[in-house]
Amino acid sequence: MKIPILRLGDILLTSIQVDLTDAEVMQFQGDVLHAIADIEARGLLIDITAMEVVDSFMARTINDTANMARLLGAEVVVCGMHPAVALTLIEMGRGLIGVETTFNLNEGLVRLNRRIQQRGDSISTDQDE
Amino acid sequence: MTESADFTLGQVLEIRQEELLNAWMNSVLLTWRRKYPHTAINEDLLRLQSRQLLDELRKLFSGAIPPEGWEPVPGSKIATLLYDFSVKHAKHGIKHNDTVLYISVIKQLLIRALLQDAPPACRVLNTLIISMDHVLDRLTVTLYDAYLETRERIIAQQSLSLLELSTPVVRLWDRVVMVPLIGVIDTQRARQITERLLEAIAKYEATVAILDVTGVPVLDTSVAGHIMKTIAAAQMLGAQVVMTGINPDGAQTLVKLGVNFAEVTTRATLRAGIAEGLLRVGKRIVPIKE
Amino acid sequence: MDTLIPQENAESTIPIRDSTDILKARHRARELAAALRLGSADQTRLATAVSELTRNVLQYAGEGECRIINASSDHEVYIQVVVEDHGPGIPDIELAMRDGYSTSGGLGAGLPGVQRLMDEFHLTSRPGYTCLMIAMKRPRALSF
Repeated sequence: MKIPILRLGDILLTSIQVDLTDAEVMQFQGDVLHAIADIEARGLLIDITAMEVVDSFMARTINDTANMARLLGAEVVVCGMHPAVALTLIEMGRGLIGVETTFNLNEGLVRLNRRIQQRGDSISTDQDE
Repeated sequence: MTESADFTLGQVLEIRQEELLNAWMNSVLLTWRRKYPHTAINEDLLRLQSRQLLDELRKLFSGAIPPEGWEPVPGSKIATLLYDFSVKHAKHGIKHNDTVLYISVIKQLLIRALLQDAPPACRVLNTLIISMDHVLDRLTVTLYDAYLETRERIIAQQSLSLLELSTPVVRLWDRVVMVPLIGVIDTQRARQITERLLEAIAKYEATVAILDVTGVPVLDTSVAGHIMKTIAAAQMLGAQVVMTGINPDGAQTLVKLGVNFAEVTTRATLRAGIAEGLLRVGKRIVPIKE
Repeated sequence: MDTLIPQENAESTIPIRDSTDILKARHRARELAAALRLGSADQTRLATAVSELTRNVLQYAGEGECRIINASSDHEVYIQVVVEDHGPGIPDIELAMRDGYSTSGGLGAGLPGVQRLMDEFHLTSRPGYTCLMIAMKRPRALSF
């Protein structure tokens, strides 16, 4: 099961639509990082609407992926967090997710663009000039 | 005529079952109808259950009297009958003394029947009455236990419903929701408040949540801990949280306890909080110009 | 009394051998919670706890077993999950239950996190046998 990674300008959009096995999660992480490097993406939006369970392993993977993406120069926002998932993560222990998260995709995109603008760098693509 | 030594309650019940049942039902229903004119009582069902109960008593007292210290076996026919009876009447709001009346009436009737039917100079009559008295007492206790248990469940259920009532989440404006916290915040309530708030944030796609603690009597570390969790969960859905209504005493206590809500915007009053919340979604309250 | 309890689900056993079994186990747990009419928050709590425990089995013991037991009565919903393995065991239980402690490079929220999500939590471990029992209980709505 390969997760599609869509390009929207210099943002990458990806949506996890099924429950992933651990191997698929690692595969996904690799794919995303390569895609960021390939197009010098400045932002990554991960939609987790379909994820009914985010356990500490998954939370760690999301954090790791975000940190790796940052090293490659991309800001990360996770969107589509279910209320019940947020509740469970908070109850398990605060600070499990160290990434900016939002409930809906639209708001996620707004936040991501805002963060990219705040960076104020314009080296990655020509159209910013 | 029966030999006096063989005289049993079983015999009395066999001969007089219908008569006893009628007298029993009349007496119980008379009281209940008078006291609970608005409660619908299923008389056919009551009669059926009572007949089964008399059957059980007849079996119990058909041969030798039940051993001393007799107890209804949980799950046995007789215990189940009483349990169902009690649960049903507790739910329908029949009071405990009127529920227990059910057994005391039949006890009276049975004692009278025994005294009437016993052969002259019956040697076993005393033992019989004592034994029956004990059995019916134990049945009363069973009835009472089941009654209390049901009432406790009803009370627990009601406090749950109250809890739900006491946690409204208000949609203040487009993308702004507000929770007025009122009363004592314990773990269970905190959970519920958080669940409610998160659902509302998701439903209204809110980006600002105002948490008003004016109505919380004591802000201590435990309450603050619960509130911090609620705030963190709301932030995880992408909502910014504005907390309002901490009074000077509360602020002093919190800082002394080492809680400073550093990552949360706070405003002294709900009024200021609403202004701040609206500002965050690009709105402002202005006077109407003439 | 009405019986909402799906009897066929009274107990189900899921062998844990690879990471697809984690998904299987937590699906089963969520299904049971949903069948017993628990809300989505409780369904997620239970599924997440099962996910944590079964993953521990894979990580530390390689394989094991997860039993999901429905022991609900008319009065309350009671779901018990027992996860067993025959791995090396947890050398220091007190340490494993401490927040932020992890031997696997995780976030260390695993076991204490599960304990916070659940109403009951029992852990026994010795070399060759580890057993974790967790349970969630909720009052059942009265039927009038």
